Amino acid sequence: MSNLNPDTNREFDVIGKRIPKLDAAQKAMGRAEYIQDIKLPGMLFGKILYCKYAHASIVKIDTSKARALAGVHAVLTGQDVPKKMKMGFYKDNPPIKKGKVCSFRDEVAAVAAISPEIAKKALDLIEIEYEELPGIFDPEKAMEKDSPLVHEYHKSNVLKLPWKLHYGDVEKAEKESDFVVEEKFTTQWVTHCCLGTSGAIALFDSNDNLTIHTNTQIPSLAQKDFLESLKAMGLENKRVRVIKPIIGGGFGSKLDTYAYEHIAILLAYACRKPVKIMFDRVEEFKATSTRQPTVIYIKQGCDKNGKLTFRDMRMILDNGAYTSWGATTPSVMMMPITSLYRVDNVKYNAKCVYTNNTYSQAMRGYGNPQATFAIESTLDMLAQKAGIDRVEIRRLNRNQPGDVTPQGFKISSCGLSECIDEVEKELTIDGPKEKGIGTGIASLIHVGGGARIYKSDGCGAILKMDDYGKVDIFTGGTDMGQGLDNITAQIVAEELGLFVEDINVVHSDTDVCPWDVGAHASRSTFVAGNAALGAAKKVKETILEYGSKLLDADPKNLVLKDRTIFVLDDPEKSMPIDKLLRKAHFSPQGKMLMADFFYDPDNENMGKEFKGNMSVTYAFGAHGVKVKVDEETGKVKVLDYVAAHDVGRAINPLLLEGQVYGGVVMGLGYALTEEVVTKDGQNMNANFRDYKLFTAKDAIRIKAPVVETYDEYGPFGAKGIGEPGCVPTAPAIANAIYDAVGVRIFDLPITPEKVLAALKEKKSATTKI
Amino acid sequence: MKPFKYLSPTTVEKAISYYGEHSETAKFIAGGTDVIVKVKEGWMEPDYLISLKKIEEMGELHKNEATGELSIGALVTHATLEKSLMIQNEYPIIYDAVSNIGSLQVRNVGTIGGNLINAVPSADGAIPLIALDGVALLHGPSGERSAQVKDLFIAPYKTILKSGEILKKITIPTQAPNTGSAYIKFGRRAAMELPLIGIGVLLTLEDDMETCSKARICLGVAAPTPMRAFDAEKLLIGKKINKEILIEAGNIAADESKVRNSIRGKAWHRKEMIRVHVKRMGLKCLEIIKNNS
Ligand SMILES: Cc1cc2nc3c(=O)[nH]c(=O)nc-3n(C[C@H](O)[C@H](O)[C@H](O)COP(=O)(O)OP(=O)(O)OC[C@H]3O[C@@H](n4cnc5c(N)ncnc54)[C@H](O)[C@@H]3O)c2cc1C
Repeated sequence: MSNLNPDTNREFDVIGKRIPKLDAAQKAMGRAEYIQDIKLPGMLFGKILYCKYAHASIVKIDTSKARALAGVHAVLTGQDVPKKMKMGFYKDNPPIKKGKVCSFRDEVAAVAAISPEIAKKALDLIEIEYEELPGIFDPEKAMEKDSPLVHEYHKSNVLKLPWKLHYGDVEKAEKESDFVVEEKFTTQWVTHCCLGTSGAIALFDSNDNLTIHTNTQIPSLAQKDFLESLKAMGLENKRVRVIKPIIGGGFGSKLDTYAYEHIAILLAYACRKPVKIMFDRVEEFKATSTRQPTVIYIKQGCDKNGKLTFRDMRMILDNGAYTSWGATTPSVMMMPITSLYRVDNVKYNAKCVYTNNTYSQAMRGYGNPQATFAIESTLDMLAQKAGIDRVEIRRLNRNQPGDVTPQGFKISSCGLSECIDEVEKELTIDGPKEKGIGTGIASLIHVGGGARIYKSDGCGAILKMDDYGKVDIFTGGTDMGQGLDNITAQIVAEELGLFVEDINVVHSDTDVCPWDVGAHASRSTFVAGNAALGAAKKVKETILEYGSKLLDADPKNLVLKDRTIFVLDDPEKSMPIDKLLRKAHFSPQGKMLMADFFYDPDNENMGKEFKGNMSVTYAFGAHGVKVKVDEETGKVKVLDYVAAHDVGRAINPLLLEGQVYGGVVMGLGYALTEEVVTKDGQNMNANFRDYKLFTAKDAIRIKAPVVETYDEYGPFGAKGIGEPGCVPTAPAIANAIYDAVGVRIFDLPITPEKVLAALKEKKSATTKI
Repeated sequence: MKPFKYLSPTTVEKAISYYGEHSETAKFIAGGTDVIVKVKEGWMEPDYLISLKKIEEMGELHKNEATGELSIGALVTHATLEKSLMIQNEYPIIYDAVSNIGSLQVRNVGTIGGNLINAVPSADGAIPLIALDGVALLHGPSGERSAQVKDLFIAPYKTILKSGEILKKITIPTQAPNTGSAYIKFGRRAAMELPLIGIGVLLTLEDDMETCSKARICLGVAAPTPMRAFDAEKLLIGKKINKEILIEAGNIAADESKVRNSIRGKAWHRKEMIRVHVKRMGLKCLEIIKNNS
């Protein structure tokens, strides 16, 4: 696509340009301020004591020795936590546990002291007597009648959540199908591996108003959580200011508030001093939440031509001991289940089950990678069964613009077809197939225009201009390394005819920035972008008004470009924008230019039936991969990877590629190497030696063709692209392995052991015949 | 992390005498890539770290062209070995092992001596030195002594070194003509990876270029200490080396190993990897011999 602005029919000046991240130099020079770098006067250091069992009663806690240690300012246990102080949307998780503990990461005490070393020493002095209880670690077993209960008050280990839908008539469609595939898939715990570990500093002013510096992706919703905590502490009608420092990675890990944040608040209140809690790497692995692990039962069918007839999926989700956003991932899993490819009859039901394992959270893709693994793996199996080419079956069933899916998603723009073409072009193998080499393809759908999960999907922006042609924009959107600052600056600069360096983006401070629901659901470019654009448009209107007077021209005939306003058909008539601003300011009844805009996308909350247009627009993509399988070791080597995405428009292709590369490598880890290994609820690999994150040496060259469909609702046509990169990676790999050596792996990650075991099984089966 | 004092003697004698002064409260440190991790984690709490880095004689890498003997100072870093053309050409098994240790940063500071004395079953550096019949020169309060590298290890983290003893260097005896050697670290990642299993093979052929006169099959992570698969080696001696006999040797080596299940890998798969890679490394040795002749 050309870089033409369809609204003006002129070339874009800033949109579509590969502008490096605005904070790149600052980060490379070590000047970026992370939570690790922040020190406040009089600050104390908090540390948390975790329990030693997966499930146990607390018989006795003795903190007297810890309290007596010189330098200790406060020691808290579950007794000190107000009853109503509970975290998560299910409100089942107090920041410090009392009575009993239900997982190894349960917080049982916390300390604030004048140094981290003393705080650590104090933790060692806390004496706790436990009585171990039988634990339950398998969600399917936890559903059985006589299983031990994780929370007795809940009466059952199965959460009361409504994840169930049925559109069309699946039973009938199954009967009428010519081919049906039925399988079971399982997916593991993986974790975000943010290089910047978690941390927070809480402090109260003399009026008991709270300021908290914390690593978050949701300043506004975190503020709400903290206000609730204050209320539980008896501090009503107080103010909370949330300030997010620069963070070293989000990926969904910071979409909920964590115990350490609420504990920092409790300690700061108890000590009347700022209290900082910093996670070390082991804590980061053990006490932050993972991607939701799943057990998936899937049935899919097609007619003799390969047209999909129905999809029937049932999932069991290991909720862990407490409830965070992991338990709501079925709301997003529904999206590929009902709407990836055209399929009229769909059934889905998911149960979240308490166990004594760690609890899960949001992670890039939010359930979509798990569901897509099962859907796209079985689609290949179905194609094979029906004797149809795997690319053809995808083309035949592809989504198309104008579709309304069974869930009521209105597909505005859709470049899935072009994405499949791109993958096919890149992956075609000429000549005879080499032994052990195979290719695989898998597609994706994801929300690309916000996602109305919360009551509001909005984002606000406030824009002001100074006398020198510079802009400050205060956005609700959160930059967490993905580059929202760039996108915001580019959008504003394009609209106002300025340069990117003229735009200062201020974000993630609730005292100065407007409300936003959070950096999730690949929504920031779309929603925060539209908010910034809305504010810029308002200011532009005023500039044009003044310009019209000063240049004696019709405002419709005025153009803002290169920091200048000029008359389109008489470019000699022009004025630098800063001069115009000064003229507006320094005249009788002077005016400084500023504007605000709150953008709430025109998407719908899903009702009881889970129907509704969740997102204003949807992102699509297809991934293709070529692998080589070592048939003697089971090791899979990725040779080539192509990830084609329909992004509406690439506001900044450089950052877009960054998102795709990062997503794909995260997806490759999910597919091949990453796993939180647990033994009876205990994390066994809380380090980067044994948690097999891809290293730079493992990363491969990825081709990332961009399909631009120009979405009419997106800012300059853009859709979201934050998550899609990691969505179809695992099934693309699994399909390629099958293509290479004829074995299919149903359980992630696809380790050499699993591949070799499957190859051996296949060999013994064929020799038996 | 408990604070410590850092001493940097410039001679072996001074280092030993420092150790004498502080004995069990002191610890030797070379590159520190194992020591500092342990100190930071609180697994080790020395009051004194005695750095060996300033002892020049321990940092030399030298081949005596007259005798053919190779001498590797204990302080020689993995990166130095990796970059040495002499090592690359004449001791491919050392190159294979050290060039895949950790990351560039770890190889730049980690030493071969530290790798041996840290004595983990997964030490990549130990396997080639055992295969090459390396001899360790030790220097302690009661003077010098030497020991075969293969005999250095008693248990994980435990060597025969006595308190205050320093590993000065490792010598590799002259290699016979028609010798090839190769090592592979089998792991899941391409970097920052401890081996799931490490396999080193060295073969020497007689002048007929077929019959095996010497064989070393050495395994890492296959037992609590690096081990030689003696039965598998024995099988090869006096035999014509081809794929079939290497497969058999691999099977025997797998049986000799004492591999275990761990969170990192299953025993059956480790055994399988020994089978496969004894064969592959054996074939690679033949290839090297052929190319060199
Ligand atoms: C990120 C990372 C990745 C790693 N990857 C690998 C890998 O892939 N493969 C691998 O094998 N190892 C690996 N290691 C371990 C380590 O780097 C190596 O074992 C290294 O060779 C140790 O050498 P050093 O000089 O750093 O030892 P140090 O840490 O200085 O010492 C190690 C031990 O040896 C003792 N010591 C050292 N020198 C002498 C001497 N001359 N005489 C007597 N005692 C001595 C010390 O007292 C200590 O007990 C890795 C380590 C890290 C941190």
